[in-house]
Amino acid sequence: MEILKPAIAGTLESSDAQVTIEPGKAGIELTLTSSVMNQYGRQIRATILEALERLDVSNARVTVVDKGALDCTLKARVECAVFRSCGQSAANIPWGGVVR
Amino acid sequence: MSDTLSTISPHDLRGQRQVDALLMQEGIRRDGNLDYTCGLFNEDWKLIATGSCFGNTIRCLAVEREHQGEGLLNQVVSHLMEVQAQRGNTHLFLYTKPETVRFFRDLGFYEIARVENSLVFLENRRRGFSDYCAALKQTCREGASAAVVMNANPFTLGHLHLVESAAKAHEMVHLFILSEEAGPIPASVRRRLVLDGVAHLPNVVCHDSGPYIISGATFPSYFLKDEDTVIRAHAALDLEIFGKIAPCLNIRYRYVGEERSSRVTALYNQEMIRRLPSLGIQCRVIPRLEYGGQPVSASTVRSLIHDGHLQEIRPLVPKTTWDYFTSLEARPVIDAIRACEDVVHY
Repeated sequence: MEILKPAIAGTLESSDAQVTIEPGKAGIELTLTSSVMNQYGRQIRATILEALERLDVSNARVTVVDKGALDCTLKARVECAVFRSCGQSAANIPWGGVVR
Repeated sequence: MSDTLSTISPHDLRGQRQVDALLMQEGIRRDGNLDYTCGLFNEDWKLIATGSCFGNTIRCLAVEREHQGEGLLNQVVSHLMEVQAQRGNTHLFLYTKPETVRFFRDLGFYEIARVENSLVFLENRRRGFSDYCAALKQTCREGASAAVVMNANPFTLGHLHLVESAAKAHEMVHLFILSEEAGPIPASVRRRLVLDGVAHLPNVVCHDSGPYIISGATFPSYFLKDEDTVIRAHAALDLEIFGKIAPCLNIRYRYVGEERSSRVTALYNQEMIRRLPSLGIQCRVIPRLEYGGQPVSASTVRSLIHDGHLQEIRPLVPKTTWDYFTSLEARPVIDAIRACEDVVHY
């Protein structure tokens, strides 16, 4: 999926994560800030990258401010930001396809 | 938990009064120019947290003392970031007091510069400012250089005189043209007129000022009226940031035009003379070029165009600027200047 315009999903509240995604050229440039970086930084990063890969996003600038979100939350926020960034958030969400 | 997050319109006098009271209680000065304000209200519809936007900045954030530590700031900032995203702004700036910086670091903001004991300026890109500096560095050459920052609205012989003075005295001159869209002459036109006007000077390199030099984010009072103390605070911050940009380009001198009419520029000059030396930069004030006993200024040029005396700008501007204003392409811009109520910089 190609990132067409900047989009944002999620909040900065506890147990949530705010994902900002912008068009990029040099692969995935991920900037991660997390309140539990020392404990779960690696897993959070892996979850984000996996969600992006599943959606076939290969070029994007991704900024995630994590406030202790569970993996399912992170995944949902990443998916939402990606769909918003290509104007697909109102309809055509591939439920049961790449989103499951 | 039944707090309600709500927009507070400028006409909601009760809400605005509560915002004023909360900001005052928390020792925060309300900015004169805000374009969006929201508040978090408790069950009794009492305001317990507030925040505002102006352009691509987030400002005037406060949380009622008894409710601090409940994560309310995060809710307010989340909401303001969503509002900004809808406006198409993802690169955001924020001011805060030095003692509260840590809260914003946790929200994904990074410090750019601080004015000791008064304010800290942050952005939400980890490498925003360092990327900007790295891009500038590519044009750096050996030896000390001079800098000129101008709005060039539009480029006049006065501006040219200033650039030429610097170019004569130094091997290298870095010329920053303000990127902010302000007023009837589009930034792209201002930029082009400068580039054409200094094309004959081989040791002048032009840069866009971007969001870090006299922009709506660092120096809003340059563009919109405000009080002297506010202008001085904004100028101090702007110069603090400039002090960080200067080493990337070996800038040791900054050339400024002497100012007699514009209050905001005069205050900015005063702050430069006072602060630049401590940042390792010498400030050189160049007397204004005069024509017919009057200083040549862009405000005068705009006034003449505004009043329909286009012919009279001829002795005040370089040929390149004159050619532009007499071209067909400039018609809409001239009409826009004529339609403005006030074209003189305050």
